[in-house]
Amino acid sequence: MYSIKTCIKSIIEFHKLKSISQISQRHIKRHIRPTLIELTKRKRKLKETFSNPRNEYLEWNWNAELFAFNSRLTEKFDLELLKQAFTHRSYIINETEKQKQVGIENPILDLVDNTEFIIEGEQIVPLIIENYLSHALPLAPQECIYALKNYLLSTEILAKTSSCIGVKDLILSMERHPTEETLAKTFYALISALNRSVNLEHASLFVRDILISLLVEKDLTEIWCVEDPISILNDILSRENKELAEPRIIAQTGINTLLSVYQIAVYSNKKFLGSGIGETIEEAKNMAALNTLHKMFGLLDSSKPIRCNLKIDDSGSKNLPLTEWRSQNA
Amino acid sequence: MSYSQLSLKSGFPRATLANGIGRYIGQLQRVTLKFCKNHGASRGIRDFIEYDLINYAKENPGVVVYVKPRRHRGPVIKAEYLNGQTHWICCRKFSREDIIKYMELVRTQSFDGSTLRLRKFWHTEFPSIQGPWTPFTFRDPKLNITEFPNAELGKCIKTEPTATEEIIELFKKQQIEEKSIAQLEE
Repeated sequence: MYSIKTCIKSIIEFHKLKSISQISQRHIKRHIRPTLIELTKRKRKLKETFSNPRNEYLEWNWNAELFAFNSRLTEKFDLELLKQAFTHRSYIINETEKQKQVGIENPILDLVDNTEFIIEGEQIVPLIIENYLSHALPLAPQECIYALKNYLLSTEILAKTSSCIGVKDLILSMERHPTEETLAKTFYALISALNRSVNLEHASLFVRDILISLLVEKDLTEIWCVEDPISILNDILSRENKELAEPRIIAQTGINTLLSVYQIAVYSNKKFLGSGIGETIEEAKNMAALNTLHKMFGLLDSSKPIRCNLKIDDSGSKNLPLTEWRSQNA
Repeated sequence: MSYSQLSLKSGFPRATLANGIGRYIGQLQRVTLKFCKNHGASRGIRDFIEYDLINYAKENPGVVVYVKPRRHRGPVIKAEYLNGQTHWICCRKFSREDIIKYMELVRTQSFDGSTLRLRKFWHTEFPSIQGPWTPFTFRDPKLNITEFPNAELGKCIKTEPTATEEIIELFKKQQIEEKSIAQLEE
C-alpha cells in the first residue's frame, strides 16, 4: 500500500516539475521594449515607405504584364504603342545617365518616351468627356458639364482610375513609386495610344467605360450647384416669358421652436414648379428654387442616372450656358 | 461572420471603379505559385502546375501567372488584385482539387474576402430618391382640400368612457335587474 502511495505522489510531483520546466520564460526581456520603441521612432521619421515596387521583384515579366493588361481590359492596344505609352521621359534620361556612369560613351536605348502621347491625350480626353456628357445630360447647362469634366480630369480621380486598371506597376519612370501626377499623365498617354492603335471612337468608348461611369455612383449636384438659385430661376422664367417665381409657404410646424420646419413651393402663372424644405423661410425658399432648377436640368435624386451605354457618333449638340438657358431650346 | 469578431475589419460590398457599369474588368492582376520541387507538402501544387496550369492561363489571359520554385519551403499562392491588395494563401499539404478551388476563388474575388466582415449584403450610394424625411412626407393628401375649423377633425379623441357614459351604463344595468326581479315576482 505504502509503495502505491509513494508512486502516485511521485507521479504528481513529476507532473508539477514538468509544468514548471515548460515555462521557459516568465517575462518579456527588458531590452525588447526600448528596442521596439526606437525602431518605431525611426520608422515614423522616414517619409518613404519600405515596400519595394512590384517591378523590382525577381518574378516580373514586363511583356507578359503588358499582354495581360491588354486582354484584362478587353482592349486592342498595339503592344509597341502600349510600351511607348508607359515609358516616361524621366526613365530614359535616368537610364542613359546610369549607362554613362558605367562607362558607355554613346548609350543606346531602343525606347521612345510618351511625351507626345501625353500632349495628344490632354487634347483628346476633355473633348471626349464633354461630348459624351452633353449627350448623356442634354438638359444640363454648360457650366454643369464643365464642372463634371473638371472633376473627372482632376489629378486625384485620374490617378485613382489609372492605378485601379493596373497601370501603377507597369510605368517606367524615374520614381520608384509613381506619383499621382505621373499616373494621371500615363492615363492621357494610354488614351492617345488607343487612339493611334484603333481610332478615336474606340478610345472614347474606353473613356466612357472606365472614367465617365464613375459619375453613376456620384451625386452630381454635390459636384456642381448654382450659388444664387432664386435669381437664376427668375432669369430663366423671364426668358421664357413667364411670370416671376412666387414662393408660398405650403406647410410649417414648430415655429418659434428649435426644430421649426417650413415647406415652401415655387409657383409661376399659378402653376407648381417645385418645393423645398428648410429650417428658416429663407433657406426653404432657396431649396425650393434649387429643386425647381434641378428638375429643369434633370439632376434630381429621383431622375434617371447618367447612362453609360450610349454610342456617340457626331459631336453636334452643345449645351446652353446658364445665361441663355431655356427649357424649349435645351 | 458574426459580430463577436470585433477585431475583424467591417465594411460593405463595393466594386472598385464602378466595375461592371461600364465594362467588366477581372480584378485579379497576377498570381504567383511558390512551391518546392521535391517536398511532399507541395505535391498538390506540383500536380496543379503539371495538369491544370496551362489551361488556367489560357482561359484567363488577363491574369499573369508566375511559378516560383523554392527549395524546402512551404507552398504558397500569392494573389495580387487591381486595388493593390495582396492575398497570401498557405497551401501546405493541399490536394490538386483544393488548389483548383483556391485558384478559382482568387480569380473571382476583388480582395481577400475573408478579411472583411460584411455589415450588409448590399450597398447603395443613393439610399433615398424621395429625399430626407420631413413632418410632411407622409401627410394625408385629403388635408389639402379640407376647410378648417373642421368639426370631424377637431373632435376630441376619447380613449376611455366618460363619467356620464358610465352612469348611463350603470342605470341601464339597474333597469334590467329591476325588470327581471319584477318578472320573478309575477
